[in-house]
Amino acid sequence: MTPANGGYAVAAYVIAAVLYVGYAAWLLRRGAKS
Amino acid sequence: MTPIEQAQRALERSRILTLIALGLLGTVYVRAIWFTPVEAIQGPAQKIFYIHAPSAWSAFLAVVVVGLCSVLYLMLRDARIDRLAASSAEVGTVFTTAVLITGPIWGKPIWGAWWTWDARLTSTLFLWFILVGYLVLRSAVREPRQRARFAAVLGILGMLLVPFIHLSVKMFRTLHPQPVVMNPEGPTLPGQMLATLLFSFAVFTVLYAGLTWQRYAQSALEDARGDARAEGAR
Amino acid sequence: MLRQAWLIAAKDLRLEFRSRTAFLSSLVFTALVLAIFNFARDPTVLSGTDLAPGILWITFCFAGLLGLNRAFALERENRTLDGLLLAPVDRSALYLGKAIANLVFVGTVEAVALPLFAIFFNVPLWPVLGPLLGIVALATVGFVAIGTLLSAIAVNTRFAELMLPVLMLPFLVPPITGAVQLTARVFAARPLAELSGWLRLLVAYDVVVVVAALLVFEYTLDE
Repeated sequence: MTPANGGYAVAAYVIAAVLYVGYAAWLLRRGAKS
Repeated sequence: MTPIEQAQRALERSRILTLIALGLLGTVYVRAIWFTPVEAIQGPAQKIFYIHAPSAWSAFLAVVVVGLCSVLYLMLRDARIDRLAASSAEVGTVFTTAVLITGPIWGKPIWGAWWTWDARLTSTLFLWFILVGYLVLRSAVREPRQRARFAAVLGILGMLLVPFIHLSVKMFRTLHPQPVVMNPEGPTLPGQMLATLLFSFAVFTVLYAGLTWQRYAQSALEDARGDARAEGAR
Repeated sequence: MLRQAWLIAAKDLRLEFRSRTAFLSSLVFTALVLAIFNFARDPTVLSGTDLAPGILWITFCFAGLLGLNRAFALERENRTLDGLLLAPVDRSALYLGKAIANLVFVGTVEAVALPLFAIFFNVPLWPVLGPLLGIVALATVGFVAIGTLLSAIAVNTRFAELMLPVLMLPFLVPPITGAVQLTARVFAARPLAELSGWLRLLVAYDVVVVVAALLVFEYTLDE
């Protein structure tokens, strides 16, 4: 009987994606600006 | 090619690498979520591990590069080495942040609490403080050569500190063993899960390389533009 | 080199004790911190001895940070470092001298704080005084060694008073953790075998920090 904790996995995956894509995007914007 | 043009070319290429790396990250996501079996005891939350552990690996890579560059800079005094150290530190902070966020999200369903002062996560927390301290120091010193020197000294000290922190935390933890509801990693990972994990490690290595190179190229471009402005002003 | 170090330390300390404000303020501050800690706990729930080691070391931490801060505040006021650099002084002697001066300052504050701590929290110090002083010495050496080095960097930054604690606190985790664990065990009269692990950690830390500081100090000075 596997526990129903998929929500946690989703949260972690989403936040990690936001962090990495967000940082890459921030670098991109910074490049365009300077 | 002028320095500015060189820097711009490097920046464009590094962006491509980063884009590839992010694409690969996407495939890790897909594989981990839909093509890797769910762990019977821990449930779907166990899959956080496929992102959490490789993030820690990238953070580790970043810190090693900062430490090495710090030593090399004091020996060779090459501004490019300092630039690499700074870039790696910033990227390392991003990865460390990811570890510190995914860790508790994983810990809550597995251990029952968001934060348990587990040895590795606590060491990572202090690694975060060291990296942020490094970045804060850099932002507080104006003159570039002085900044590079100070950062290098702090980088070396930080590198020396890390094993001591890990030791202290571990020794402290063995005094207060936490009841482990489930053993997070188990003795061995069955084939499919191991493959996903290893694939993720490889992708995160590429991601570290891409982001650090991009940050480095960005910094090089800014420096080149700054130099050109200073030349023009003269 | 040692002689130079002593001279530098003596000069710093003489400057220090000429005004006595910094020293007296540090003492008052330390006494206040100890007193405030009394209100930070529920005496009916926790016995004093449970929290005592932690309270002692956090107090020492604050006192130490203050001491280091005032050391380079003095620096900025008098620009003594510039003068010293013009003289043919061995860089390591410079570091050692400053570290010794800081050690004396912090040590003196600790010497006053310890009896105060014993009184406020009803902790019998006499039976364990020897080992306790040893632990205090070990941890303080590590603390001062890294603090003196980081001060040399921080003094050159904007927001220097904020920079020093931010940089220093991660470096205090091993010595403070070790010191609190050792102090707790000493108070509980635990056998030496239980102390050896933490003792080795403290000693190793002190050695690494002092050696590293002697090696990299020159890089914190302008060429």
